[in-house]
Amino acid sequence: MPESLVQLILYAATVLGAAAMVLLLPAPGKPGGTSWRPLGALLGAATLGGFWLLMSPLWLDRPRELEPYGDALTVTGLDPGAMAFYYVFSAIGIVSAVRVITHHRPVYAALWFVLVILSSAGLFLVLAAEFMALALVMIYGGAILVTYMFVIMLASQPQASDAPEDTPDFERYAREPLWASVAGFLLLAVLLTFIFDGDAVTRNVEAMAITNAEVAEQLLPNRAQIAAVDGGGDVITVDTAVGNVERVGLDLFMQNPLAIELAGVILLLSLIGAVVIAKTDVPDPGSDENDDPAVRAAVDPKPAPEAQA
Amino acid sequence: MELPILTNLTLAHFLFTGAVLFTLGLIGFISRRNLIVMFLCTELMFQGVCVTLVAFSRYHLNFSGQTFVIFVLTIAAAEAALALGLVVLLFRRKHTLDALAWASMKG
Repeated sequence: MPESLVQLILYAATVLGAAAMVLLLPAPGKPGGTSWRPLGALLGAATLGGFWLLMSPLWLDRPRELEPYGDALTVTGLDPGAMAFYYVFSAIGIVSAVRVITHHRPVYAALWFVLVILSSAGLFLVLAAEFMALALVMIYGGAILVTYMFVIMLASQPQASDAPEDTPDFERYAREPLWASVAGFLLLAVLLTFIFDGDAVTRNVEAMAITNAEVAEQLLPNRAQIAAVDGGGDVITVDTAVGNVERVGLDLFMQNPLAIELAGVILLLSLIGAVVIAKTDVPDPGSDENDDPAVRAAVDPKPAPEAQA
Repeated sequence: MELPILTNLTLAHFLFTGAVLFTLGLIGFISRRNLIVMFLCTELMFQGVCVTLVAFSRYHLNFSGQTFVIFVLTIAAAEAALALGLVVLLFRRKHTLDALAWASMKG
């Protein structure tokens, strides 16, 4: 396919995606909202299909495969069946991400975000990054999202039902759906122009890590002996293959020891900061300290009802 | 004969997914008005960056990309703790999560 046609389809799909996003984000006085959602979903699906059609190696002159390298393929390789998993996980992730930013209830947005996390963990598995997939599910799905759930429970007002009519305006309506979509998809068009440029990414051969066999030989020569001592006197067969967890661990602790210490300091600081923020005493809007009209006028340009009365 | 579309998984596929996740997070951060959902959208942008980092890590067969994702997760956890604490503080002050309730802070 000629390069100009690729660019044309790319920009057409981007414009289509922006239109879909505007229809999916409700705003008062603009086309959007529940009745326009099916059309927006259709346009979004067309956008995704257009991009994926462009990416299929049928059209690319130089398909940039994830090539086999040493025994990396045998341990962490991509088999042809992974293609279907990529499309499934990617579609689930993108659709869930759209629901995160279009759902009118924060609780459901957080639940859709869990689905985004699970599908990107699936993508990590396709990329043979098992440790990162597990860490993502545990840290994001387990810890961070539970924190979000607690805060949503702490900081939300009771409402009659889940229906959009019963939710407050600031949750039902987006602020500037048109300009937000234009800005976002402009960025996406620029990014995808570089992604689809054939020679943009050449493989950095110098940066390649040594193979798993070399790691087992040079860095971990005594693995089998340690395992045998642990097993007691009996002769046991121990799997000494070097996997993703070993490789990430070696890279983490051999290349970045200072960064780990800094990460620990950052976590401690955020812990202390969160405690300090949580203990801060906040005057209630209806309490005595805030009833001074001068203070009110300085804080809030709208005159308070008590001051008028 | 197998179709090449079914057997060739390229770096561009994963970069595309990462870019779309980042863009959706950006759009959500600009257009949503609920403070909690806005911070959820920053996490969405983190996800897009993580997918890109791991894809490059696999492409160059260099594990530094995956190591960097660990630090991204660290920062995301610290950010979630601090930002959600601030959101609770803001909610106690005005009893709403509407970001426009704090519009008087703009210069």
